[in-house]
Amino acid sequence: MMKRDALKALTNAHAWVGLIISTILFIIFFAGSLSLFREDIISWERDPYFVSSESGASFSIDAVISQVVNDYQVNTHGYFILQMPTDEQPSTNIYFEEKIPAEEQQEHALDKQLDDHIDRHLIISPDGKVLGDGNAFDWGNFLYQLHYNLHIPEVGLYFVGVVTLFFFVALLSGVVIHWRKIIAKFFQYRKDGKKDKLLDAHNLIGVMGLPFHLMYAFSGLVFNLLIVYQISYAVVLYGGDQGKLFKAAGVVDVHLDESNVAIPVQGLDKLLLTAKLSLGQVTIIRMSIDHFGDESASVTFRGDDKSQFSTRKEVTYHIASGRELYLTKNNYDNDIRGGLAVIASLHFGDFAGYSLRMLFFVLGIGTCYIILTGNLMWLQKRANLRSEKQNKLGLQLVKAMTTGGFIGTIFATAVGFICARLLPIDLLDRSDLIGQIFFACLAASLIVSLLIKAQQQFAAIFLKITALALALIPVLDWLMLSQGIVVMFKAGHFDVLIVEVMLLSLALCCWLVSSRLFSSAEAVVNEQPISLNDLAENLIAEGIPSIKVTS
Amino acid sequence: MWSRTFAGLLLGLLISISVVLNLNLLVPIKEDTMLLIGLLCAFPIWAGMQVWAYSFTSAKKAWLKLTLVLTPSVVLNLLLLVLR
Repeated sequence: MMKRDALKALTNAHAWVGLIISTILFIIFFAGSLSLFREDIISWERDPYFVSSESGASFSIDAVISQVVNDYQVNTHGYFILQMPTDEQPSTNIYFEEKIPAEEQQEHALDKQLDDHIDRHLIISPDGKVLGDGNAFDWGNFLYQLHYNLHIPEVGLYFVGVVTLFFFVALLSGVVIHWRKIIAKFFQYRKDGKKDKLLDAHNLIGVMGLPFHLMYAFSGLVFNLLIVYQISYAVVLYGGDQGKLFKAAGVVDVHLDESNVAIPVQGLDKLLLTAKLSLGQVTIIRMSIDHFGDESASVTFRGDDKSQFSTRKEVTYHIASGRELYLTKNNYDNDIRGGLAVIASLHFGDFAGYSLRMLFFVLGIGTCYIILTGNLMWLQKRANLRSEKQNKLGLQLVKAMTTGGFIGTIFATAVGFICARLLPIDLLDRSDLIGQIFFACLAASLIVSLLIKAQQQFAAIFLKITALALALIPVLDWLMLSQGIVVMFKAGHFDVLIVEVMLLSLALCCWLVSSRLFSSAEAVVNEQPISLNDLAENLIAEGIPSIKVTS
Repeated sequence: MWSRTFAGLLLGLLISISVVLNLNLLVPIKEDTMLLIGLLCAFPIWAGMQVWAYSFTSAKKAWLKLTLVLTPSVVLNLLLLVLR
């Protein structure tokens, strides 16, 4: 049995850790929940403009590559990746580096832009024609990147990793604190019990979703902080030789030295057929080329075996000779690669169709609610302290983090969706602009929250505006692009509908929470007109009239 | 709270690395399997040590207890590496 002092220390630490990481964790979970439907969001933004009812059955890689080579100078030393068309996603995406001519490089050098290439992303129709620039439709990827590194260059990944570690710590400490009641009070939700409502919601969702939370905390750590153990393994076990560690970890390097002899990239359709025969039951989803246009060029076809859980298959050929360079039918025949593939499948929820992703989405939004209730309980505790014991600045900061950070994130996301639908698709740096608008909205929300004293009314109105903004998106879809969406439906592609249902669900959640806030505000106004200044106090006041605090 | 946080972060990390390295050096199974087992154990150990650090009423105690766990594990690391 844990000592009373230790339990008290752990409870304080649980609250403290939760509060410190709350805003960032909310953004991570909110963006992550939406990112479960990343491909659908990308299709929602892009496909109504380029929809085609043709199937990809006649798709020719050779024809596409001929056209790309005619139109662009592909960088031999860079990457070249083609996302294969599927039944669900008939259009194809090609990602490659385009060489910048030397004279333009000099001009760029004057502008201090020293890159020797441009990153290209082309959308290809099912019949192989280049439809447009894929970089203009990046909203789904923006949300995903927000989830894993908050768009902070270099250190963002590790920062999110550290926050995830403390999320893991909050989970474990929460289990220890709640352990004695975890079975007896498993379903306890005292909705009429007033002061325990927030705590019960916090515990109920936390315990119900515990396996999900543990899985996310662990897999998130693996993705973001693996490097810590990678370095220690390399230094201690492999004498500083990272190459040896990579080899043991199943990293395959099928490398041929560049010969600097240029030859056209052809014969890939034939190699695709050979790959299908070699790999057996697999849907090839990706093709990549190394040393594009050089005699040493090789092509790798990769696919997932849908008949097995998380099994990746891959084959590599030397393009010029057709010689097989590497073949794996089971996650690179390496346990750590296989293990990482399982962890990735669990994290992305990509192994059981939409039903699983919907469940993960609900649990993800549920986690956002856990974070919110955690903050509100902290605020409640502080509000109950005598005024001389209160740290006014800290209290205002936490309130602003909760109102501006949490609601601001949802609002900024809604505005991002609206911009992704409204901005012209040929607008220069369209995706960058949408990203900037997102951060401007989030920053403005935080600043306004810090400045406003009547945070309860602000939160109520802000949530309602957010709900309306979210609900506006499907209306814009149908007003602007109904023809394209109908063609998508007829071709059996329901990405737009999936995204719209997701956004309307979020709008409903926001509206319901706001209505409850607003009605509690009315009650407080009637009873104590001067005392309205705090989102949390009033949220809690909804259930506990006695804790209202006069400002 | 900050001191206990750093105790858990730093010593918890070192303990997780050390324990996992000992596992790698002691258990005679396939290299890639061992790396995976190490990976599966490492993060829960780190987070567990952080929780343990928070359960102490003083930061000094947290630093002391975690150091007491780390020391024998590091000694075993050194021994196994020398005998390797």
